[in-house]
Amino acid sequence: MSTSRVLFDEPGPIARRRIRVATVVVSIAVAGLIALAVRRFADHGQLDADKWRPYTTWPMWRYLLQGVRATVEAAAVATGLSLAGGIVLALGRLSPHRRFRWPAVVYIEVMRTVPVLLLVYIVLFGLPHYGVNLPLFWKLVAPLSVSSAAVFAEIFRAGILSLDRGQREAGLAIGMTRRQTMWIVVLPQAVRRLLPSLVSQSVGLLKDTSLGFIVSYSELLYSGRILATYNRLLIQTYIVIALVYIVINASLSKFARTLEARQGVRPAGRRRLLGFVRPRPYVAGSPHLRARPEHPAPQSEGPEPQNKIPA
Amino acid sequence: MSRTLPRRLGTALPVALATLTLAAVTACSSDSDSAVPGGQDKKPAEASAAAAVGVAPDTAILPGSTMEKIKKRGYLIVGGSQDAPLWSQLNPMNGQVEGFDAEMGRLLAKYIIGKPEVKIVSSATETREALLQNGTVDVVFQTYTITPKRAEQVAFAGPYYSSGQAILVKKGTTGIKAPADLNGKTVIAGANTPAVTAIQQLAPSAKVVTFASDPECLQALRQGRGEAYVQDQALLVADVKQYPDTTVVGEPFTQDPYGIGLKHDDTAFKSFVNDWLRAIGQSGAWQAVWKQTIGTVVEGNPPAPPAIGSAAGS
Amino acid sequence: MDVVLRHWSAFTDGMTTTLELTALSFAGALLIGIVVAAMRVSPVPVLRGVGTVYVESFQNTPLLVLLVLFVFGLPEVGVIFPLFTTAVIAIALYEAAYIAEAVRSGINTVPVGQAEAARAIGLGFGQSLRLVILPQALRAVVQPIGNILIALTMNTSLAAAVGVVDLTAAANRVNLLEAQPIPVFVGAGLGYMAVCALVGLLTNLIERKVAIVR
Repeated sequence: MSTSRVLFDEPGPIARRRIRVATVVVSIAVAGLIALAVRRFADHGQLDADKWRPYTTWPMWRYLLQGVRATVEAAAVATGLSLAGGIVLALGRLSPHRRFRWPAVVYIEVMRTVPVLLLVYIVLFGLPHYGVNLPLFWKLVAPLSVSSAAVFAEIFRAGILSLDRGQREAGLAIGMTRRQTMWIVVLPQAVRRLLPSLVSQSVGLLKDTSLGFIVSYSELLYSGRILATYNRLLIQTYIVIALVYIVINASLSKFARTLEARQGVRPAGRRRLLGFVRPRPYVAGSPHLRARPEHPAPQSEGPEPQNKIPA
Repeated sequence: MSRTLPRRLGTALPVALATLTLAAVTACSSDSDSAVPGGQDKKPAEASAAAAVGVAPDTAILPGSTMEKIKKRGYLIVGGSQDAPLWSQLNPMNGQVEGFDAEMGRLLAKYIIGKPEVKIVSSATETREALLQNGTVDVVFQTYTITPKRAEQVAFAGPYYSSGQAILVKKGTTGIKAPADLNGKTVIAGANTPAVTAIQQLAPSAKVVTFASDPECLQALRQGRGEAYVQDQALLVADVKQYPDTTVVGEPFTQDPYGIGLKHDDTAFKSFVNDWLRAIGQSGAWQAVWKQTIGTVVEGNPPAPPAIGSAAGS
Repeated sequence: MDVVLRHWSAFTDGMTTTLELTALSFAGALLIGIVVAAMRVSPVPVLRGVGTVYVESFQNTPLLVLLVLFVFGLPEVGVIFPLFTTAVIAIALYEAAYIAEAVRSGINTVPVGQAEAARAIGLGFGQSLRLVILPQALRAVVQPIGNILIALTMNTSLAAAVGVVDLTAAANRVNLLEAQPIPVFVGAGLGYMAVCALVGLLTNLIERKVAIVR
């Protein structure tokens, strides 16, 4: 909490009163809004007990958990494939040889700007016309992997570039080849540093598996749709589905933050407002990477005494 | 032409098989049976009729044919849906797929293999032709309207059902009585259903809004996102049961002959399936399936099954 | 490619809708995102909490789920907007969570001395944020926000699933009529690529103009 205090003084009596007033006002406003929404919701009969009762039964959850499993499977395979593809593409883009570099650049730039949904449509409607009919699972996983390989490539590239040049130079100086330096010295460090971003990107991928809805692969969202056509509880079903997604992804994000907190890669640098000093590599890639918290939340008190402003 | 086979069969097979067939068919929807008006007392008669088309004789399973391939494999691969209530809807509670199309698939499997073993492969409206062409599925049971254009790419057995699109409105809506009244109005339809093209033909100036599934369309209508909802009549009847503040106006305004999609040029399999269709139509098995599925929402007696080959393209 | 030319007006209509969706929801997302970022660094704990919950819930729900919930759920709490507006709101709220995080990391790039100086000359929290911190923070995150805008552009394609006829939905409809998926979807893909390339160019231009060299 104290780290964000840089933006404001330790509150005095007047400020404390203001904060108290603001707290009360905000709490009342939020509670009021929620109450109003819930009330309206109930007025429309959406909170009737029998509309929610199905979600207290085990067969229902057994079915939804199957959907969760399918979601996780698709996300895991897609992550694995795009990690592999990402490394290859990143190395290609960083290669000194033009014949490797250009294909990688073109692939990355094209795939970064084409919606996954369109890729899904091409695999779903386009390929069968040419005799290629992938199994359902791959109709979802293939376009996802193809698309996010480009994003992973940019993450890897940023990580490799952000590593101190001395590492590479040292590797070359002791007589390693360029390839050895890359695989033995540079990549392992880059990957460790990138671990949180990679996990965050996997969360993005896990969310994207909801495109199974279009492919009719029985992941969580499509299972929800089948459930809704079966029990005709459209809104309740989608609320439950949204909550399940939040629980899964929030745990994954928390895992990413734990990883990050453990790393303790904190080169010396300028003091920053919120208390994080790790340089942010320029990543042209995903907003998931950029926008997701790459740092512990501001509340966490990092081991950075230099940032604590004496009150 | 093996046309005469099932007829001979009709008298040949023992009544005992009846109970088996129906038991398999009713297994997953036993509770809805009681909702069928007059369903209970008619059952024995129908059951004995259904028995007549239990399993095809070995002579009908021609060597090297699709039927033989399926029989050897031990299950029938059906292209279908899991989210089409009354037709082919997965019951998440027990993992069974229920509905008219699903039951027909099981009957056909039973006819070929001897047991109702079916594997349903989800297929989208746009990919059915491709799935049949490259042999991913044996047959498609998916409210598959027979059209001459589609018949250029796939073969159709049947029609096995004649459906019609109807119009659902909120109670109290005035000015919508016939399809032409939809002109200039916002009309809701299920994405990729025959309704979309039907509306475009009969009310060209209607604005069509599509949603993915029936519950979504229904919700959209009730929330006022459109003045009317065009869908298969049986589905609409079920919708009215759930929400009595809606009502179906008029009679179905289209004739959609649903066919069983088969691989193009597989004439042996096509006549085999057509023979089976004729047999279940005569024995009463078709009617029994209707009662268990569509008959649970549409009142009255089952209609007569459409004549085989009556639709252009079949 | 003549399929695309034959249905040119369907494609341009779809493109217009996509551009409108993109522009409006991006404007909304930027606004909400900055407010949420400010909430997350504010002195009032409740506001910080609300901001955190906001970011966590919207970043962890698939946009497709949000769209369906907004289209069919909002009317049940008595708020009904046209489909297009609903899609704009859902996309804006979703992307705002990402913008908020980007802005927060931008605030992080502002040297502590700036905030200390602001407080030293007697500016309060709101003033120092508005006059000193945010202007610098926003300049630092032009690139990340540009990337969010690119992602947002692509994400508008999901509105097609809830009945909005954008470029993707238009392509899908044309494909239903013509059954020529490859040219149709490649054509639509080129449309998205053009928009994204434009965004990338603009981002670089703006960044070069406003970047602070430290």
